Amino acid sequence: MTSHAIDTGWLAELLATLGPDNVITDPARLRTYECDGLTGYRVVPAAVALPRSTAEVAAAVRVCAGHGIPFVARGAGTGLSGGALPVADGIVISLQRLRRIIEVDPVNLCAVVEPGVTNLDISRAAAPYGLYYAPNPSSQQVCTIGGNVAENSGGAHCLKYGFTVNHVLEAEVVLADGTVTTLGGPAQYQPGFDLLGAFIGSEGTLGIVTRITVRLLAKPAHVETMVADFATVAGAGDAVTAIVAAGIVPAAIEMLDNLAIQAVGASTHSVYTADTAAALVVELDGPPDDVAEQFDHVQRICRAQGSTKIMVAADPAERALIWQGRKAAFAAVGRISSNYFVQDGVVPRGRLAEVLDRIGAMADTAGLRVANVFHAGDGNLHPLVLYCEADGEHDRAERLSSEIAELCVELGGSLSGEHGIGTDKACSMPRMFGEDDLATMLRLRAAFDPDGLCNPGKVFPTPRLCGERPGPYRPHPLEAAGVIERL
Amino acid sequence: MTYRPADLAELREAMVQSAAVGQLLAVSGAGTASQWGGRPEHDAVLDTTAMSELISYNPTDMTVAVQAGMRLSRLQEVLAEHRQWVALDPARGATIGGIVATADAGPSRHQYGGSRDSVIGMTLVLADGTVARSGGHVIKNVAGYDLGKLLHGSLGTLAVVAEVVLRVHPRPAATATLAVPCDAAAAFDLGGQLITTALEPAAVEWCDGTLLARFDGTARGVADRLARARELAGPAATEGTPEQWRGVDRIVLGEQGDTVLRLGTAPDRTPSLAADLHRLAATYAVEAAMTSTLFAGVHTVRLRGGPAAAHAAVVTALRQTYPASTVCRWTPDLEHEITPWGDPPPAVSLLRAVKRRFDPDDRLCPGRFAPWL
Repeated sequence: MTSHAIDTGWLAELLATLGPDNVITDPARLRTYECDGLTGYRVVPAAVALPRSTAEVAAAVRVCAGHGIPFVARGAGTGLSGGALPVADGIVISLQRLRRIIEVDPVNLCAVVEPGVTNLDISRAAAPYGLYYAPNPSSQQVCTIGGNVAENSGGAHCLKYGFTVNHVLEAEVVLADGTVTTLGGPAQYQPGFDLLGAFIGSEGTLGIVTRITVRLLAKPAHVETMVADFATVAGAGDAVTAIVAAGIVPAAIEMLDNLAIQAVGASTHSVYTADTAAALVVELDGPPDDVAEQFDHVQRICRAQGSTKIMVAADPAERALIWQGRKAAFAAVGRISSNYFVQDGVVPRGRLAEVLDRIGAMADTAGLRVANVFHAGDGNLHPLVLYCEADGEHDRAERLSSEIAELCVELGGSLSGEHGIGTDKACSMPRMFGEDDLATMLRLRAAFDPDGLCNPGKVFPTPRLCGERPGPYRPHPLEAAGVIERL
Repeated sequence: MTYRPADLAELREAMVQSAAVGQLLAVSGAGTASQWGGRPEHDAVLDTTAMSELISYNPTDMTVAVQAGMRLSRLQEVLAEHRQWVALDPARGATIGGIVATADAGPSRHQYGGSRDSVIGMTLVLADGTVARSGGHVIKNVAGYDLGKLLHGSLGTLAVVAEVVLRVHPRPAATATLAVPCDAAAAFDLGGQLITTALEPAAVEWCDGTLLARFDGTARGVADRLARARELAGPAATEGTPEQWRGVDRIVLGEQGDTVLRLGTAPDRTPSLAADLHRLAATYAVEAAMTSTLFAGVHTVRLRGGPAAAHAAVVTALRQTYPASTVCRWTPDLEHEITPWGDPPPAVSLLRAVKRRFDPDDRLCPGRFAPWL
């Protein structure tokens, strides 16, 4: 606990406001919250609040606002960019106890949920009505809808169905001063600026979402899924371009290169061909006749682009195996390499073959392995840079990882397609945006949170943060010199 | 006076010059929304129509970058050469920048959403001449705040849209429409059935007494779905015509002397809105027409005939139940009777805070959003 906390008495106020059962101060328990899915950064917060309602979230925020205490909202903590990294002299507001599905409304095709509800549970609740919630990150069994709103999460089916921002109608939010307001509304038309659209994807820096109305879609009548093998990674990339150029918008086009396939094969009941250079997973959904015709067309395109083998899922069980392998790929890579960095850059789709080729050459030069498993349809790469900490490969791997991210920007793409900027890439933002761009974004932040208490240090570069390079934890130079300490 | 910049640099220069002398600016594209949400006071007009160039288009990436003053219709012609389109079909012959700034869209909003959902990158110029970019040229992108969303529906009050990057879609190989004469309640029920039976309509519009459902896809798939939709709809259903879709445009555009009101409601309020409108029109002896994108909850009401006071009475009465409303066309003298907007949204204090940060001197389109801003 910080001396700041004791001196100001804000903690006593927080305890009095929420009750001692709903505030964690025990140092051992606080360590549970020291990082999110990006484990390289760890900061133990001064306290964790566990509110049970919007009113309690607002009350906790008001305590913070009254004392100038920074706060960080957190859902399941599955984020991969350090977006929920605590602030040492601030609190974490966990939304895990706000997990009610308030209403599924099949007439208006929407559901009203609290932020701690998992992504998958929304679809489960909607299933009896033949409906589902479309955006589905690979972590959908555990990640929460509140986190999805903060990160504008995507997933494999974004190519056809869009992102979180395209599927949220209304959000109740607690602002940095503790007031509660509503952004958006029940209709696509709402008078005024689209503050909801700007809020989604702001990574917790504009407020805390406490209630969300999401759109639900009818489950597609028919689904077809296939895996097409290719002799080269570039060939698979060209096939993606050709499919899209043919005017077909699949529900998903995912790619795995050989290293990723090997990793998946080593750990699950793999349906992938062990020795192929690359595999494309293509899924089409929709009305049966449309799907059948386009699925034939996709197979013809893959063969024309040099596909060596096409495996069509014969039934839902085979489809599940294909997706199980794809979704387990990150974890699987962890089993063939003691350490790895994951990148999340995006390139224009037409440059896929080029970027994969260049990543391969860069990996060779660095003497490291890079596994590629990613959302090829929208150009969202996830290069996994494999290295061994014990063999002293860390710095080389980190450099390569950063070079890949910068390459994506150089090719006209983005630093992040779905993991967010968070703590991890805040220092890289000037690679993509100019000073005026960032300053204009900060005008928006200042309108919502003039004192900068809401998830500070994320998204935007700050001098202190940028003294630390992105990647796994290492002591900050000031920390090493004994000037500051990380609790 | 009028500033008519031809590119980003000239636009920036116009903003700096006008700031130096403290001019109030009305931002204008094709001028098709000059009455939307109130007429701004101004010393000068910032006209974007000379910024009408295609900046870049790579069909295989399915993205296109344009200057904001390009008309949507012109852009669609360019994209059509590659069998693509921007999934927007507003009635107005507006510019891209104007469509974003007005949050306009047409019946295809059912499947594709509004312009907010097609815009993936934007360059904007603030009142002080600051040029800012957000988003980019790739569809999947979460780096930084999405200022393009913020500008959506801002009616020129936060910044001038200079350049826009849009996501494009393939044009479907075939398209067909189901048309069913019915009241709003029956249209809502049938539309819901079309959706939940996974017939995937691309548009579900109830226009002045007829349900219009459009199916896009392959030739065989569209024919099959239209046949199944006709079975669901019963004997009154026919294959719809392009002329029936133009009926949507006629209501949205209105004519000289009409009042046009845009409203947003929960989708299932559509039948009651239609009934209330019918009753009020009879009470105040005006002619009313309405078109609704049923499951987006977006409605456009056109009032015709009768004095301004009658139009005002209808709008005021509707707003008591359906407050999210904007006057887009004013019958003469109506401005003396009602305000452009209904009750302010809950986040109105945030709207004001954002406006103060982006345009602290209130130079851009002052009077629009009055009295909210």
